[in-house]
Amino acid sequence: MVVLSAARWVRSRLSDRFWRVQEVLKYARHFRGRKNRCYKLAVRSVRRAFVRSTKARREKKRFLRALWITRIEAASLEHGLKYPAFISNLLKSQVELNRKVLADLAIYEPKTFKSLAALAQRRRQEGFLAALGDGKEPEGIFSRIVHHH
Amino acid sequence: VAKTSLTSPPWPEVKLPDPVEEAKYHAEVVRKVNGLISAGEYGRLFAVVHFASKQWKITNEDLIMMDNVLEAECGDRIRMEKVLLVGADDFTLIGRPLLGKDLVRVEATVIEKTESWPKVNMRFWRRHNFQRKKIIVNPQTVLRINTIEIYPCLS
Repeated sequence: MVVLSAARWVRSRLSDRFWRVQEVLKYARHFRGRKNRCYKLAVRSVRRAFVRSTKARREKKRFLRALWITRIEAASLEHGLKYPAFISNLLKSQVELNRKVLADLAIYEPKTFKSLAALAQRRRQEGFLAALGDGKEPEGIFSRIVHHH
Repeated sequence: VAKTSLTSPPWPEVKLPDPVEEAKYHAEVVRKVNGLISAGEYGRLFAVVHFASKQWKITNEDLIMMDNVLEAECGDRIRMEKVLLVGADDFTLIGRPLLGKDLVRVEATVIEKTESWPKVNMRFWRRHNFQRKKIIVNPQTVLRINTIEIYPCLS
């Protein structure tokens, strides 16, 4: 006799419940308190941990960039330049090093960083001179001082 | 014209050095550095290289790991062409923005092509019965920087 489906009074029961539970608990073993042992508490903690790690992966980039900027600012202040002046003048002199590499150079290659700061300072001064122009007054403009009596 | 608050600029006045003397000084420095390079009197060289859309600060015998696939087999020698900066103890050569290919040569070998550890990407909205779990495995390539060489062709 061929039977295609089981009879209604036959139930199927889980045989690998232990391994399904271990799959979740293995990520909770280093937690504190009962959530490293009890499945019901661990499920919630592990879920929050995963969500937090995905969000942190996006924030890590912002955090690291802020850290590099702080380090470059500190190093350029040691050489007498502020961070916006340093970065803008480096870019205007067509030196395209990113903040990660600049921070590494500031830590491990101080002489190179000093030369980069000098380059930025020189470009800044040239920019000031270029902004001043000739030093003459434009034509057709007269200046006078108003006297109030 | 009388002096007002806007007659002189707010920054302190700067004087640039004489261009003729500066040109002489620059030529002298370039000659000295060329002499140092051709005599080979530098220790370990470091370079800043633009590779795989990232900038790396590398020296000899360095290991680099990229989070993508490289179309080269394991054991292939690779020459990295986009060099931004090269330096030794006494001098640095800064590229604007890149240094010439006849000036620097950076060689690397592909060592390993693996996959990253399985990263878990999970999204969850509370009280909305919404959770998605995805396991992301990125291919990675490991390179070893063999040598960085410079040639004395400055001008």
